[in-house]
Amino acid sequence: MTSVSPIAAKAAELRSVFDHARAAPFPSGEEEQTEDLLAIRVSRDAYAIRVTEISGLATDRKVVTFPSPVAELLGVAGIRGALVPVYSLAALLGYAVETEQARWLALCGTEETFALAFCDFEGYVRVRTAQLYSAEQNDVARVHVTQVARTTDLVRAVVSIPLLREAIQERCRNNSVPKER
Amino acid sequence: MWTFGRKIAAGFTLAFLLLLGIGGVSYRSISALTSTSQLVTHTHQVLEHIAEVLSLLKDAETGQRGYVITGDEAFLEPYQTAVGSVHNVVKDLRQLTADNANQQTRIDKMEPLVAAKLAELKQTIDVRRKGNLEETTKVIRSGEGKKIMDDLRLVLSQMEREERDLLKQRAEEVEAAASSAKSTIVFGTAFCLLFVTATGFFITRSLSGQIGAAVRHVQSSSAELQSAANQQASGAKESATAMTEITTTISELLATSRQIAESAQRVAHVAEETSTAARAGDNTVQKSHESVNSVKRQVDLIVTHMLDLGKKSQQIGGILEIINELAEQTNILAINATIEASGAGDAGKRFAVVADEIRKLADRVGGSTKEIRVLIEEIRAAVNTTVMATEGGSKAVDLGARQFVEVTAALKQITELLGTTTAAAREIELSTKQQATAVEQVNIAVSNVAKAAKETEVSSGQTLQTAGQLAGLSRDLIRLIQATAGA
Repeated sequence: MTSVSPIAAKAAELRSVFDHARAAPFPSGEEEQTEDLLAIRVSRDAYAIRVTEISGLATDRKVVTFPSPVAELLGVAGIRGALVPVYSLAALLGYAVETEQARWLALCGTEETFALAFCDFEGYVRVRTAQLYSAEQNDVARVHVTQVARTTDLVRAVVSIPLLREAIQERCRNNSVPKER
Repeated sequence: MWTFGRKIAAGFTLAFLLLLGIGGVSYRSISALTSTSQLVTHTHQVLEHIAEVLSLLKDAETGQRGYVITGDEAFLEPYQTAVGSVHNVVKDLRQLTADNANQQTRIDKMEPLVAAKLAELKQTIDVRRKGNLEETTKVIRSGEGKKIMDDLRLVLSQMEREERDLLKQRAEEVEAAASSAKSTIVFGTAFCLLFVTATGFFITRSLSGQIGAAVRHVQSSSAELQSAANQQASGAKESATAMTEITTTISELLATSRQIAESAQRVAHVAEETSTAARAGDNTVQKSHESVNSVKRQVDLIVTHMLDLGKKSQQIGGILEIINELAEQTNILAINATIEASGAGDAGKRFAVVADEIRKLADRVGGSTKEIRVLIEEIRAAVNTTVMATEGGSKAVDLGARQFVEVTAALKQITELLGTTTAAAREIELSTKQQATAVEQVNIAVSNVAKAAKETEVSSGQTLQTAGQLAGLSRDLIRLIQATAGA
């Protein structure tokens, strides 16, 4: 009975939350400004990416590798009927190549879509905008981190997807191979 | 080496032989002297008989003359005596000279003359009796009687001369024999004295040397005997002391043997009680063995159930994985729906709320599945631990069962060994009693030996005293021998 009681309590809590959510009215738009973040972990470091900066989340997709001068490019994967280039978020953030397979893919953009691969997805986090602080840009390797989300139980560097997009585009330009005449 | 007896016997034998030789020679000389003396005596007898014949004839002639002159018959007594004896004397004389042919011849001549003389005397006497003196004187004057007497005197003188010669010769022989016997006795005795003296000297010297050596040996032996007697006396004293100690020890041993017998008896009694207890323990162990087997079966059943529970936990884990994956996919879908809703602007806000709710629900489900996974892992770990513990218990029960078998065998062996121990304890008790009896006998024997040791001590003292006396006697004997040798 002692082992059953917490589960029953958990089920009751879930039921209550669900019923409460159903019973509560939709937000009127006057609530406090919040920011939705995906809590991830890159090479055991805690990061976060804005939900508004990605176009989708996928997992366990087959990434087909091919030779590329861009070291961060892992390959291409088929997501939502399209071939999407998959870049290693760890490599883009300046980490060494991860030994663990990056099974999580964050789709970025609706045009020239690309995907960022990372190992661990820890959850969906909603913080107040006031809890986002500007990050100091002293480290060259962390140029893609512009803000830090800090709550009572959370401190995470927020990766800027637009900056990563620019960095990828820059590298692609630098490593583009001239076409044959 | 010659012994004392042999030397003395040899000396006495030689002396005896010498004495025997001297005696033999002396005997022969004396025998010769005696025989010669007998011959001399015989010659004297012959001479006496010759003289007697002549004397008888003279007596007869004297009687005849007296009668003739006087006519008195009383004067005829010598005549008659001579007539009655002369023939016997002649006869004796013939016998005495039977070994002498010359004298026998002369006796043959003498006998007719004697008869003629006696006849002439008788004739004259007869004539005188008739009173015829003249006729008688005439016959006498005829000289025939004188002539016969002269012839007789001649024959008798011849016989006497020969006898005298024989007497002289035999006297010389007697003297020679006496001289020889004297010489033999004197020189033989002197030689014997010398020989006996020399033999006595040599025997004395030899015996003194040998007896002296023997006495010195006896003296040294008596000294050694004295020393040995001293040692024996001290040894006997030590033996007596040791025997006393041994007697004390054996008495203690006897007491110990009795205690051992009593202890063995108690051990046998305890072994019997222990055997009874071991049999009771064997029954208890048998029951416990059955209980352990029952527990083993229950434990095996528990292990089976726990293994089933582990399998079910794994199945729950699998289902939970599916739920978790569903929750994760739901979460992803919700996130994507949120993203899509946010991309739809205000039209998507309500949808975004729903998607957010779905996402939260998926989050909670995911969190719950994680908790459930933790619980399941704990259950599986608990099941594994329980299974391992149960298997350990099963093994322990197996071991216990085996140990119970071993304990049963050990108890059986203990029971058998207790039987053996009881028998051995009884044998020990019996043997110890026999040993106690033997020890008592030994104690008696040792007491006797102690008495014998004391007696030996006493006799050693006597032996010591005797050895001392023997040493004194040896010294006295040596002094005697040395004094004799010095003398």
